[in-house]
Amino acid sequence: MTELVLQNVSLRFGGLIALDDISFTVSPGSLHALIGPNGAGKSSCFNVISGLYRPTAGTVRLGVQDLLRLAPHRVARLGIGRAFQNTALSPHSTVLDNVLLGRHALTRGGFLAGGLRLTSRQERLHAARAREICDFLGIGASVDRPLGALPYGVAKLADIARALATEPSLLLLDEPAAGLNTDETAELAAMIGQIRTDLDIAVLLVEHDMELVMGIADQVTVLDFGRVIADGTPADVQTDPDVVKAYLGVTT
Amino acid sequence: MSRLAWIPVGIVLLLLPLYLEAPWLKAGQYMMIGAVGAIGLTLLTGQAGQLSLAHGFFLLVGATSYTVLAGPKGDHLGLGLDPLISLVGAVAISALAGMAFAPVAGRVRGIYLGVASLSLVFLGLYLGQAAESLTGGTSTGRDPATFKLFGFPFSNEGDLVVAGVPIRGTERIWYLFLALLALAYWLARGAVRTRIGRAWRAVRDNEAAAAAMGVDVRRTKASVFAVSSAYAGLAGVMTVLWFDILKPDESEYGTYGVNTSIAFLAMVIIGGLGSVGGAVIGALVVFGLPQVLTLYSTDLGWFTGSVTPVLVSSFVYGAAIVLVVLFEPGGLAAVGPRVKHRIRELRS
Ligand SMILES: Nc1ncnc2c1ncn2[C@@H]1O[C@H](COP(=O)(O)OP(=O)(O)OP(=O)(O)O)[C@@H](O)[C@H]1O
Ligand SMILES: [Mg+2]
Repeated sequence: MTELVLQNVSLRFGGLIALDDISFTVSPGSLHALIGPNGAGKSSCFNVISGLYRPTAGTVRLGVQDLLRLAPHRVARLGIGRAFQNTALSPHSTVLDNVLLGRHALTRGGFLAGGLRLTSRQERLHAARAREICDFLGIGASVDRPLGALPYGVAKLADIARALATEPSLLLLDEPAAGLNTDETAELAAMIGQIRTDLDIAVLLVEHDMELVMGIADQVTVLDFGRVIADGTPADVQTDPDVVKAYLGVTT
Repeated sequence: MSRLAWIPVGIVLLLLPLYLEAPWLKAGQYMMIGAVGAIGLTLLTGQAGQLSLAHGFFLLVGATSYTVLAGPKGDHLGLGLDPLISLVGAVAISALAGMAFAPVAGRVRGIYLGVASLSLVFLGLYLGQAAESLTGGTSTGRDPATFKLFGFPFSNEGDLVVAGVPIRGTERIWYLFLALLALAYWLARGAVRTRIGRAWRAVRDNEAAAAAMGVDVRRTKASVFAVSSAYAGLAGVMTVLWFDILKPDESEYGTYGVNTSIAFLAMVIIGGLGSVGGAVIGALVVFGLPQVLTLYSTDLGWFTGSVTPVLVSSFVYGAAIVLVVLFEPGGLAAVGPRVKHRIRELRS
């Protein structure tokens, strides 16, 4: 992967400034955390990177590519995978079917090719890869179950599996630990570490669980009210007075 | 349904013309027209989540295209093409018409899209009346060319006898429709299980997430409008062959009108949104009921004055929709699996 660089990005919704002149860089292969209180603008920032929101100012580049000129599906095809804050899966479809959606850009064929069964071989190969990814995330036993019938923890992992199925070089994870218990969170932390080291995928992680973030991230960017208030290693950021203030709400 | 279960169904459908009288065959053919159209709409509305009340319009596009492409050069515009090529051409033209409408779905959603699509029905009504050189106009209509397959006519022409039963126009059309329905069904079943089907469902469930997975949402919508309209166009071709005339409607209520669009929606809701098999069952209910009631009407003696089979059927399928929405949102297609599940539960 090449660097993801956000420069002076601002985003407004009417009078509300969701992102205010933010800049940060996600280095290749890093595990970069984006943290901040509720409403700080973390998900909005993801949506800007994915091309779902268009910023009012600033630039977003992946290497030499200007992401702001691209439609969301083109951004995805550059190798940016995304898991959503509240999962965004099809509840009536099976886990496998959901994960296979991630293979969309890696496969070919429309109505006639599918209808005439010309893509059976391709379907089989990619289903095998999708199962492999589900096994890797520990949800291999549920692949053929309809998603709506499964616990939230499994759905969260299915959402990550789908993002991984796009074979990204950068993975955006929006609060993957939300709604998980302590054990599940610990497993998830290990898994995110593996995604980075074993699969060699850079991760940009939004998370409220500080223990998780400080334990695995090598770079942390802190947002508050749409502004970057700190950017550095976990150790630097943890002791930063602005960060402490933002999180504890202490007024001095 | 399992593959083996298809064998007896297929045999029965193939043998029916040897046993049924022509009026019953006509009724069956009409249900097959409904089934082809309903499969198209269940892909659009059920699989891809795009509400459309324009199905009647695309039927008219297919019907007119076939008649013009295959029609003789004469009073009306006719290209005199081979009927099979004309049928394929009519389906292609309908697909293009659907694709041309697709951009509207990029701007409006849900019920608003339904209303926007309704305008096409009125466009069809106007064009049907105004473009007399194509449609023949509302007063006389226009005769379609007899369908021929490599020279073999689907009419009463020529003697063909199987097991002592003469295979005449009605029987031949039965087999033609059966083949078209089988092909339409098989293609749809295959497609929904593959890449394009997943893209359609993703667009239905969450456009932003679909795009983030690399799905070109605009193109995916265009594809489903094209496919759905192609099915409607084929149903339109079948409609002119069934009536043996192309006759544009005089009001928005007619063969290609609002009522037809709503009937197709009823089929896919009753059958279970998105279910290809369900769409066929829905067509049997919605298009079959008025036909069967009409055939029985003299025996039943129910229908006097303003109480017509069509009216009674409208009430029946109206009630069926309410029941489905209240008790089984998965439609009739979900009833089978549910019963199976229940039996398994009771056993254990
Ligand atoms: N589509 C939108 N339209 C209007 N306002 C929006 C929109 N999306 C986000 N916002 C606003 O932008 C601000 C930042 O929201 P965002 O969802 O990015 O925060 P967040 O940091 O992800 O919060 P959380 O931790 O609660 O997920 C909030 O005030 C939110 O209400
Ligand atoms: Mg958020």
